[in-house]
Amino acid sequence: MGERGIHLDKEILPVKFAVIEKVLNLARANSIWPITFGLACCAIEMMATAMARFDLDRFGAGVFRATPRQADLMIVSGTVTKKMAPVLLTLYEQMPSPKWVIAMGNCAISGGPFVFEGQYNVVEGVDKLVPVDVYVPGCPPRPEGLIEGFLKLEEKITGERRFPGPESRW
Amino acid sequence: MVETVKAGLAAAFAGTEIKEIPYRERGYHLSLEVDAKSLVRAASFFDARKFYLATIVCVDYAEYLELVYFFNHHEQLCRVKVTLKVDPQEPVAPTIGTVFDSASWYEREIYEFYGLRFAGHPNLTYLFLHDGIDYYPLRKGQVPVSGADKAQLGSFQPQEGEDTFFVNLGPQHPSTHGVLRIVLKMDGEYVEQAEPVLGYLHRMHEKMGENRSYYQFLPNPSRMDYLGGMSFSLGYVTAVERLCGIAVPARAECVRVAATELNRIASHLLWLGAYLADLGALSPFLFAFDDREQILDILEGIAGSRLTYAYFRFGGLFADVDDRFVTAARAFIARLRGRFQLYEDLVGNNVIFTNRTRHICEITPELARKYGVSGPVLRAAGIAMDLRKRETYSLYGEMDFDVPTGTQGDPLDIYEIRVREMENSLRIIEQALDKLPEGPFMVEKPPRKLKPPQGDIYHVVESPRGEVGIYMVSDGSDRPYRMKWRAPSLSNLIIFPELARGHMLADAVAILGSLDLVIPEIDR
Repeated sequence: MGERGIHLDKEILPVKFAVIEKVLNLARANSIWPITFGLACCAIEMMATAMARFDLDRFGAGVFRATPRQADLMIVSGTVTKKMAPVLLTLYEQMPSPKWVIAMGNCAISGGPFVFEGQYNVVEGVDKLVPVDVYVPGCPPRPEGLIEGFLKLEEKITGERRFPGPESRW
Repeated sequence: MVETVKAGLAAAFAGTEIKEIPYRERGYHLSLEVDAKSLVRAASFFDARKFYLATIVCVDYAEYLELVYFFNHHEQLCRVKVTLKVDPQEPVAPTIGTVFDSASWYEREIYEFYGLRFAGHPNLTYLFLHDGIDYYPLRKGQVPVSGADKAQLGSFQPQEGEDTFFVNLGPQHPSTHGVLRIVLKMDGEYVEQAEPVLGYLHRMHEKMGENRSYYQFLPNPSRMDYLGGMSFSLGYVTAVERLCGIAVPARAECVRVAATELNRIASHLLWLGAYLADLGALSPFLFAFDDREQILDILEGIAGSRLTYAYFRFGGLFADVDDRFVTAARAFIARLRGRFQLYEDLVGNNVIFTNRTRHICEITPELARKYGVSGPVLRAAGIAMDLRKRETYSLYGEMDFDVPTGTQGDPLDIYEIRVREMENSLRIIEQALDKLPEGPFMVEKPPRKLKPPQGDIYHVVESPRGEVGIYMVSDGSDRPYRMKWRAPSLSNLIIFPELARGHMLADAVAILGSLDLVIPEIDR
């Protein structure tokens, strides 16, 4: 919880309302409102995740907002180009704190398949622009993958996992 | 048709050699080279004979830049290639935007990627690239952007007008389906002028095509158009096969057709849902995605991925299909046939929907021709041009299906056509499954390394959005010398400023949504 506690003045000791923070974070984690910010192929899988079969609403995260001012999660779903980068930054800065970012797909993580010698237009990883909380790999990731990303984000916010995670078999 | 055009050209351009090209191998019938003085005359020649401009390509051969213009006719198949050589030191060519409206957009693209200036162009500014770029990306060897051109970087600058204001639609807007930006000059609630600003998802596919071998480029086409990935993959592999002369086994062809048509239905379903969501109806979205998921299950079973397929390979398929594919596809056909009535009740008979889309704009055949519009939008204007029927690539020549056309050219027509197209796609899938022969799914010896003979090819396929053209130049090595994609969404988009003028903003959104744009395909 530490970093996102309520800080008063830097000069005096930071005051934290531990219990309130805990309750607030529980609320935040269970009502994540993402911004409808589709960039490329991954956006279609993001839409599929929100639809009936995968039903993101089960985790309280189905309220996609069209404006950054009402959103607290940005899913960077697709390739970020150099022309898009300033727009993305503006959107991120318009979101109210606390806010989180999921980098969905290989393009948002590292530029993905569009990195080659002499490339001139792709930002190689959205973490060069904004801080990223959860990375979801895939090209594009399956909806299950994105849901797992949401669960990871919830875990990061509250400190504990909603469900026991998938068993590690390797 | 080809003979009359050839005779006409011979009369109009005496002294110019008009070559007849083997269409089967090269994808076009006639070829002629003109000089800068007679280029506009050539464009007017084709304009007078009701041809449309399919695309303009620029190729950088070290000694000269070559501009390649492709013309085609809507009624009969007659593809003509017109070339013009330009000096690479002082690259200037005349514009033909005065004859074909679409040309001025293609010319802007060539200007920013090659530094080729078009004399007389009214708005020669950058369209796709960002402002920080200081060389011409598609030139061979780094050619720096000259000082005069740098001053023109910086896309669109709204001017202060009287009693008007500017509205930015996008690049982050739910109804632009991605990162399209349109700057609208508004007079109150009415759109006075619309100007698309593109390139927010320019992913350098054409540059990658030149940097990779034919095999390495296989994953790219389906990422260019993520909704109709199968169509783009099919276009790419059939183009290379045509260039190399590879024959494909019948089983592979059948599976290709079935998979492509399934993908087409998935694309149309997504359009239906998203378009209705644009207009404010959210429930069709849920129904359409429900059906779409069934298709994705089937395609995932054969191709292994849900969205971005690389299932087709040169000479066949990545893997064979089994009975599960056939049963699942048949079950889906039965399911979707039962759902059309639901869609009709939910959408087609919905008074709000019909009143919002009927007569809000009119795409006339002449307007469609001037802008080179293709696909369902063209057919809504009443022109029955479907490349599956016209070009008969793959197995489409043996399939029995209709080409639905509209009369008004309004979004309601486009909706009707897309629904009818889904029904016809089901028919095609059924026939392909009936025909599915036993046998190999791949040629006996798939080529390890492809080295097509020298030459070029213009190959077209019908994607869910229209005419996809692939112009490839091979220099005999294992990677293409130049690969140009004609994106159907781009030519469908550039008609939007014309359609939106004088309409209310809400109607402009309804028009824009009906065009079914996929942004990475526009930007490439």
